[in-house]
Formats: sequence, structure tokens, C-alpha cells
Amino acid sequence: MTLDPATAAILATVERLVIEVAGDEITLAGPLTLTTSFNADLELESIEFVALAEQLQAHYGAQVDFVGWISTKQLDEIIALTVGDLVTFIAART
Amino acid sequence: MARILFVVPPLTGHVNPTVSVGRALAARGHQVAWAAHPGAVGPLLPTDAELLPMPEHVDADHAAAIADKARTTRGAAALKFLWEDFLIPLARSMRPALDAAVAAWRPELLVVDQQAVAGGLVARARGLPWASTATTSAGVTDPLAGLPQVKRWLADLFADLERAAGLPPSGDGGELSPHRVIAFTTSALVGPADRFPAHYRFVGPSIADRPEAAAFPWDRLGPRPRVLVTMGTVNVDVSTRFYATAIAALAEQAVQVILVAPPEVVGPLPPNVICQRYVPQLAVLREVDAVVCHGGHNTVCEALARGLPLVIAPIKDDQPIVADQVVAAGAGLRIKFGRVQPPELAAAVRRVLDEPHFRTAAAAVQASFTAAGGAAAAATALEELLP
Repeated sequence: MTLDPATAAILATVERLVIEVAGDEITLAGPLTLTTSFNADLELESIEFVALAEQLQAHYGAQVDFVGWISTKQLDEIIALTVGDLVTFIAART
Repeated sequence: MARILFVVPPLTGHVNPTVSVGRALAARGHQVAWAAHPGAVGPLLPTDAELLPMPEHVDADHAAAIADKARTTRGAAALKFLWEDFLIPLARSMRPALDAAVAAWRPELLVVDQQAVAGGLVARARGLPWASTATTSAGVTDPLAGLPQVKRWLADLFADLERAAGLPPSGDGGELSPHRVIAFTTSALVGPADRFPAHYRFVGPSIADRPEAAAFPWDRLGPRPRVLVTMGTVNVDVSTRFYATAIAALAEQAVQVILVAPPEVVGPLPPNVICQRYVPQLAVLREVDAVVCHGGHNTVCEALARGLPLVIAPIKDDQPIVADQVVAAGAGLRIKFGRVQPPELAAAVRRVLDEPHFRTAAAAVQASFTAAGGAAAAATALEELLP
């Protein structure tokens, strides 16, 4: 699947920031894709979620409020959250 | 003298604190019993304890599937699993049996663990006074405060239980008693007591002086400093990587390491590491200078009760909250569980050993535990509810 350039750019940024907060090891199983799940695939820890939220705001500015966005979600949506969901959210706010 | 009934889930960490409180009440002349599952809870109670049996999970396959899922889920999925697959079905299966037991045993007060939700439902339906016990220091904070939709999901699950019990909805937080909440922690960890409702009592941990059967090679212990590394007995399957990281981190350090892990999953050991599947933890804690652990409330309290600083790598459930409370108290450091690297773990251990402020803060928590009164204070707070 080829991504449009804007989506691909956001995905690349998200991958760089995820590696920054969680370390290189996180991409051992392969690069991040839009269907990568934060909970089941990346097993991102709560402390890493917080760090990622800070990195996203530092990069994109206050309008990309990851924590505020998560707070509106249902439990099942939080469990199923994918990198693609985050990319779509960022695209809508930037 | 009153008849007091403890209602507990089949979870060791939730039963243990009630044992000392029950003993204290019995010593004051009260008649005490536990409504609990004989298989899981019976062995944890004093041999002369009165146990009102709750129905065991009938289907062994189902129980095995639940146990398997409990070991492997983390994060938000673990919260969903805990309530939808475990605590709500537990409440459904316990409520009729508990109601019958209460009718027969006629307690004047129910003491209900926070996760044995059926206890509050039965007490309310019968108009009996009841107290809640909050086993972990995470139990009295509001971890879902920033997640209103998740809070509503939990409130809806609880409202279904109330409806089935023929009770009016109590709204948000109804699983805790409005009469009394006994929290086995202190303000040194959860923050000033005046931030909580007046019916909350902070009694500190209720650590039972339990018999410890595991042997330990005391003569092999090297000189201080010594560090205990334990990720809890139920997390062995997910902790293999962490054990290896801890060994790599501490092999070159001038510390004696006591690692609680199955030796067969750990492999060759450096000379400064003693590794055993089980250790007499209370005895070992008397001989060490710091603890690396997963943030299980019991281990954290047992370490702080000895004034030991901690390095915590939380795995799931309340552990991240407990870890943050210890960090806020200044008594330790939090590291990542899944992806921590040896240099990071080594640096955290060096800091809690070498920087005296961690030990000073841990000693302050220790003093708060002693002052809080433990099981005796809990017994007094419960007696206040008696007619």
C-alpha cells in the first residue's frame, strides 16, 4: 500500500518519536504501519505514552493534544488504538 | 461483642491484610468469619478461622483461560479484563451465596474488600453497616479521573449489578462504602488525608508476620550493599527479559544481588548473584539495602516498612500508580519494564544506593507506617461502626 506523501511524512515522524521514547528495540519486529496497535503490538507503557504525548506537542505544537484526545475515548477504543488513528488525528490538527 | 464478617476475593494480596485485622478483632472478643472461596483463600487464613464457603468457579477450562489471560494482558486491556472477565462475574456468582451466608451467620458488620463487590450489594440490600478495605494505595486515588468515558463504562457495569440485586443506583464510586473506607496506606504515599472524605481511615499496611518456609543460603551472602530483585511470583512468564537485563546491569557492580526467579529461565549466573525461585522475603529484606521490583503493593510496603529505597519497573494494573506514589514520596525511582536497558537499570540502582536522600525519604514513609497503627488501628476504626 502506498501512502500519500502527507500521511507518509506524519507516519515517519510518529515512528521517529516512538523510537525516541521507547528505544530502537521497538521496531525490531518491523517498521511502524498504520495498523500497528499501541497496546497489543508496541505494548507501549503508560510512562511511554506520557513521554510520546510530550514529544508530539513539542514537535507539532499544543494543538496536537494526545492526552486530551485519549481522554475522550471509550475503553475499547483505547485498547484498539493504532498508529493510523494517531496519524489521522495529527493530520486533522495540523 | 459483635459478629463481624470479612468478604474477600480469591486473591492473596487482598486476603492477607484482613488476616491481621481479623486477629486483632478476635483478640478484642469479637466473633470473626470470612466469606471466601475455600480452595484459594482457606490456606491463607488462620487454621482456626471460620470460613463461610463461596462457590468455586465450576468450569476448570474457563478458570484456566482466565488465569492465562490474567498473566498476559497489560495496559488498558488488563483493566477491561479485570472487570468484565473477573470481578463482575465474581460478584454475580458470590452474591446469592453471600446473601444466604449472611442470613444464616447474622453478622452485625461486613468488612468488604474493594474487589469483592458482592459484599456491598448484600449489605445494602439487608440494611447492614459495612466498611470497605482498600488494599492498595492506588485504590483510594482516582486513576480514571482523566478518562470520563472509561469511568462511565465502569459505572454502567456496576449499575447492572445493582439492578440485578434490586438496589437503586448509587452512582459514581458506589463500590466503596459510604460508612467507612479502611486504606492500608498512609498520606506519605497518597497525599494529605484531608483531601479524602471524612469516613476514610489511613491505617498503613497490615503486614502479617507470616511463616516463611523457603530456605536461603545465608552463608553465601556477600558484603553490603545488597539488592533484592523480585518481580512477583505471578509475573515470571513475562519477566524473562527483565531478569536478563537485571543480571547484565548488576553483574559488574560491586553489589550482592538476590534475584527471585526460576534459575532455569535465567541461565548462567555471575558470582555476585544468588538466584532462587522463592525466598523468605521478610527475612531477606532485613539483610538488603535496596529493592528492585514491579511495584506490587505488598512488596513495596514490605520494603518501605524497613526503610528501603526502591527501583520500580511497573508491569500493569495498579503498579504504575504505586510506582509514581513512591517516586513522589522521594523513596525511589521508576524505570520501564518492557524496554529498560542494562545501563539505565544499573544507574537507577546506583542512585538509590549512593544518594542518601532516597533512604531518608523511605525512612519517612516507614515512620508514617508505624505511626498509622496498622491492624490495630483498622480494628478500632471498624469497632466505631458497631451499633
